[in-house]
Amino acid sequence: MQLDAKIPGGPLAGKWDRYRFELKLVSPANKRKFKIIVVGTGLAGGSASASLAELGYNVKTFCIQDSPRRAHSIAAQGGINAAKNYTNEGDSIWRLFYDTVKGGDFRAREANVYRLAQVSNNIIDQCVAQGIPFARDYGGLLANRSFGGSQVQRTFYARGQTGQQLLLGAYSALMRQVGAGKVEMFPRREMLDIVVINGQARGIVVRNLITGKIETHASDAVVLCTGGYGNVFFLSTNAMSSNVTAAFRAYKKGACFANPCFTQIHPTCIPVHGSYQSKLTLMSESLRNDGRVWVPKNPGDKRFPRQIPESERDYYLENKYPSFGNLVPRDVASRNSKEQCDMGKGVGETGLAVYLDFEDAIKRHGRDVIEKKYGNLFQMYEKITAQNPYETPMMIYPAVHYAMGGLWVDYNLMSSIDGLFVLGEANFSDHGANRLGASALMQGLADGYFVLPYTIGGYLAGTSLEKITAGHPAFRESVEIVNNSIEKLLSINGKRTVDDFHRQLGHIMWDYCGMSRNDEGLKKGRKLIQQLGEEFWENVLVPGSDKDFNQSLERAGRVADFLEFAELLIIDALARKESCGAHFNEAYQTKENEAMRDDKNFCHVSAWEFAGKNKEPVFHKEELKFENVELSQRSYK
Amino acid sequence: MTKTINLTLKIWRQKGPEAKGKLETYKANDIPTDMSFLEMIDVVNEKLTLEGKEPVAFDHDCREGICGMCGTVVNGRPHGSEKGTTLCQLHMRHFSDNDTIVIEPWRSRAFPIIKDLVVDRSALDKIIQAGGFISVNTGNAQDANAIPIPQETAELAMDAAACIGCGACVAACPNASAMLFLSAKVSQLALLPQGKPEAARRAVSMVREMDRLGFGNCSNETECEAECPKEISITNIARLNREFYKAGFFSSEK
Amino acid sequence: MNWLAGTLGSSIGKKLMMALTGLGFCGFLAGHLAGNLTIYWGKNAFNSYAEHLHSLGPLITLAELGLLFFALIHILTGTTLFYQNLKARPFRYSVNKNAGGRTIGSRTMPYTGFILLSFIVLHLINFHFVDKTGTTIYQIVHGAFANPGYVAIYVFAMIVAAIHISHGFWSVFQTLGANHVKYMPFIKGVSIVFSLIVALGFGFLPVYLAYMV
Ligand SMILES: Cc1cc2nc3c(=O)[nH]c(=O)nc-3n(C[C@H](O)[C@H](O)[C@H](O)COP(=O)(O)OP(=O)(O)OC[C@H]3O[C@@H](n4cnc5c(N)ncnc54)[C@H](O)[C@@H]3O)c2cc1C
Ligand code: HEM
Ligand code: FES
Repeated sequence: MQLDAKIPGGPLAGKWDRYRFELKLVSPANKRKFKIIVVGTGLAGGSASASLAELGYNVKTFCIQDSPRRAHSIAAQGGINAAKNYTNEGDSIWRLFYDTVKGGDFRAREANVYRLAQVSNNIIDQCVAQGIPFARDYGGLLANRSFGGSQVQRTFYARGQTGQQLLLGAYSALMRQVGAGKVEMFPRREMLDIVVINGQARGIVVRNLITGKIETHASDAVVLCTGGYGNVFFLSTNAMSSNVTAAFRAYKKGACFANPCFTQIHPTCIPVHGSYQSKLTLMSESLRNDGRVWVPKNPGDKRFPRQIPESERDYYLENKYPSFGNLVPRDVASRNSKEQCDMGKGVGETGLAVYLDFEDAIKRHGRDVIEKKYGNLFQMYEKITAQNPYETPMMIYPAVHYAMGGLWVDYNLMSSIDGLFVLGEANFSDHGANRLGASALMQGLADGYFVLPYTIGGYLAGTSLEKITAGHPAFRESVEIVNNSIEKLLSINGKRTVDDFHRQLGHIMWDYCGMSRNDEGLKKGRKLIQQLGEEFWENVLVPGSDKDFNQSLERAGRVADFLEFAELLIIDALARKESCGAHFNEAYQTKENEAMRDDKNFCHVSAWEFAGKNKEPVFHKEELKFENVELSQRSYK
Repeated sequence: MTKTINLTLKIWRQKGPEAKGKLETYKANDIPTDMSFLEMIDVVNEKLTLEGKEPVAFDHDCREGICGMCGTVVNGRPHGSEKGTTLCQLHMRHFSDNDTIVIEPWRSRAFPIIKDLVVDRSALDKIIQAGGFISVNTGNAQDANAIPIPQETAELAMDAAACIGCGACVAACPNASAMLFLSAKVSQLALLPQGKPEAARRAVSMVREMDRLGFGNCSNETECEAECPKEISITNIARLNREFYKAGFFSSEK
Repeated sequence: MNWLAGTLGSSIGKKLMMALTGLGFCGFLAGHLAGNLTIYWGKNAFNSYAEHLHSLGPLITLAELGLLFFALIHILTGTTLFYQNLKARPFRYSVNKNAGGRTIGSRTMPYTGFILLSFIVLHLINFHFVDKTGTTIYQIVHGAFANPGYVAIYVFAMIVAAIHISHGFWSVFQTLGANHVKYMPFIKGVSIVFSLIVALGFGFLPVYLAYMV
């Protein structure tokens, strides 16, 4: 297989315009002759479904939850970036592009990122027109704030619920099309296989999660918008049903998986407290605008935080990175927390937490101002921990948050399977080795509203598609595979529950493939995962039947895929012999313990092709060429 | 270290939509009080699974109070008795040792039970399909700052838009009415200039759809407002009423 | 007329009819009470008030027909709503609690309503559809309240009316869309005061007539 990113030629700023002009068009009358399947209804899937239907395509949309409005995008808090420069700080498309490439530690495609920055402004326009109540200034114009790792205020927000509002905007556009009969909506469906005929993605196989029925759906193209795989770590800030299943099954059908080892660990989450814990809660990064991160200077200092005098506190981010201070990018902030805790300076019951302190901010601005900005976050914190952050500092610790890796896609967002497009967090495209805050929402909506609607037309217009129905033997084959694995899961009748396996997998991943990695640990982790995978297929206990609403069975399928996928993630981590962004291999660091890239040997995307069960995946390399920005050591000092 | 408590749970078990259900009693022992309510059910389910029994089906996803997927009636109160809190954010520290907790599904004709505590809330999506949107195709928009919107208006719209669509208002309403849900959407869009052109059509068709789906009628009991995990106010219902009269009597909408 | 049926037949339309007719009744009650208070000025004052009313002739018939029309709407719509609301939750909760939204008034609207209906029928039989030749209205009323049973029924009915109104009055404003954070607390206050006036004003009359004159 030869990976061709299909990046258009010409100067960076004109690429997208020219390319759109060159793309073949499907005429308005012909659009209704095409059927498109969209899997997922997050920002990416919701916006794509609605936009495609508006253009006239016939769309079938699927999601796991009972309503498309509940996709995981709903949980995003902080905001969405755009290069509007409403604040007159000198922001521009170029600056947003540059910050994103640099923030991603130079492991993303220039052309994609530039396009992202270009359409970022249209997204905000679209969202406002949909009635999204973004925060506004007294004059009635849109407000902006700054957000992790950026020195201009370009983040648009709706209180601490930006993701919710953006998703509800996309959802309402989607509902409008459902009402108009252009989108057929299939909630409570889980995609379990993708059907490829003559090398083209032509449909999917899903399980109806209410009745257990396995259903088949044929189409002319398939769009995966199934989100990220952070739950391979068990504990993460992702929703419980976030999974890798759809992406992984596509991988098994020939779609390459790119950079799976780039997993973002977010610095400000509520620390783990107890072995029963089911998920971790993010405290928006915006808190770092006013909160100061510190630990006691002396390891093992167990005094109450307010009893520790200034002179015995270590504001380690401010000290180490004077110009960015508490606002350094996520990977840097996370790694530093871990470092402090490893030195025994961690706080709280487990010693795995650092303080995020608002005392000074409250003194400076008054409690009212702080409450107005962060009231709902403080309340959420108090609900969970029963501590009042106005009086005692918050305790935070890093947690798995976002997957920069994902299915490999070209400039059209098409994977290495023809006709299979991948959008949103599920693809690998724009964030390189580390995503900047408020950029995922931007990317999901860019993909769905402003990129795919054009590129999919180009594909459909320029491809000959054989007429097929869901009666095609390829569908029968897929159904059989799916049925077999479900039967297998139900028949093992072992002694350990699905969650039990998942939790153990999470521990292995966190310990050996977490914030900082080394070859020895990775190898050990891989072995442990293989063993766990074997045990899973002999000893898992899945109660109930397949002809029924069966949540244990749903989870079992997802964990089975996580177990295989975890190995791929580690293989990728082992292969990348450098440190960059979220991938920190201890063997490659500067004297100041910062990530040390190896641009000579690793300035590429690693894309993995499935080679068969228990076989090493095949490695493909997409060289990254930087013609417009200069590769530099990221420095936030 | 954290405190633990012992509980008796009475949980509604029902095999399927047509099946007859009943409350079953379970013990939940040594529950740490800093656990969330859903984690407590997880623990019970793990135990049931290992005993060879079927775990309790319940909806949940984000577990941070925003997706609106979770929700059961706990001791007669949707999402439990803490104000402004979803079930996933309810923590066990609000219960005492030896409490008995009765857990039932949302009950409404418009929300048929799927299994145990899981109900079908697609009626809420249907209400939105009837008009809970602004008809703007992708690409149609003008510059975001072209129309200034007073901060106060934007904030009011945001108050309404905070609805998570969990259905607790329906579950709490003595008449199983969906007026709070519907009014939140109508209010959000009616407050904003962008929503004005379609305001009349929206109000009429959404109300009509709600009536068709078998929800009850609002009788201003205000239980919805008191139970709403996002504390959405019934002033939105008053606004919906105004919008509806305007549309019904003074517009050309039929 | 399709649009009118569509608007009034919807859930909000039905509420609107309840509110307008209910508000009408509140107005009627206020007027009725003002008239009845003439009893405290003695029987002549009361009788001449009644005569004055009757002298209005067709106007009073019109008002009566109006009230009847309102009553029909209020009762029929109220019954429909009650039935529909019951049906909306076919399976009840085994534990019922409330979050502090409901009041005795709101909780009992249909029941207090039906009690009021029975009372109104009785009331009309007692004082409206009686043979008034050779007697005065004061005598009829005074005679009726000689029976302690009637006194009890009337007092009870007025308490019920007060309960109905304690929710009904503010509810009218909410239904009409007049809910504003600045004024709602005041309206709720008026609701309580008005229902107290009805309970005390009307309720004390039978007691006064039976035991104090
Ligand atoms: C707590 C939190 C806060 C965040 N805050 C921000 C922020 O402030 N700014 C920012 O830019 N980003 C933020 N992010 C990241 C951002 O929210 C996500 O990356 C983004 O929303 C992903 O959108 P998506 O459309 O790709 O996928 P998702 O929203 O995850 O949607 C996935 C969809 O796919 C469906 N699906 C999945 N698997 C299957 C299957 N097998 N079959 C059928 N359907 C399937 C699901 O039902 C769902 O509808 C945050 C993330 C988290 C977890
Ligand atoms: C003098 C007599 C009465 C007065 C002053 C009165 C007044 C009111 C008022 C003001 C309301 C509130 C309307 C709203 O919520 O907007 C109301 C509601 C109601 N009334 Fe009456 N009413 C009277 C008699 C009756 C009778 C005889 C019935 C019998 C059927 C009745 C049944 C109801 C019901 C069921 C409601 C609640 C409707 C709902 O909110 O869904 N009422 N009434
Ligand atoms: S699980 Fe999402 S709101 Fe409770």
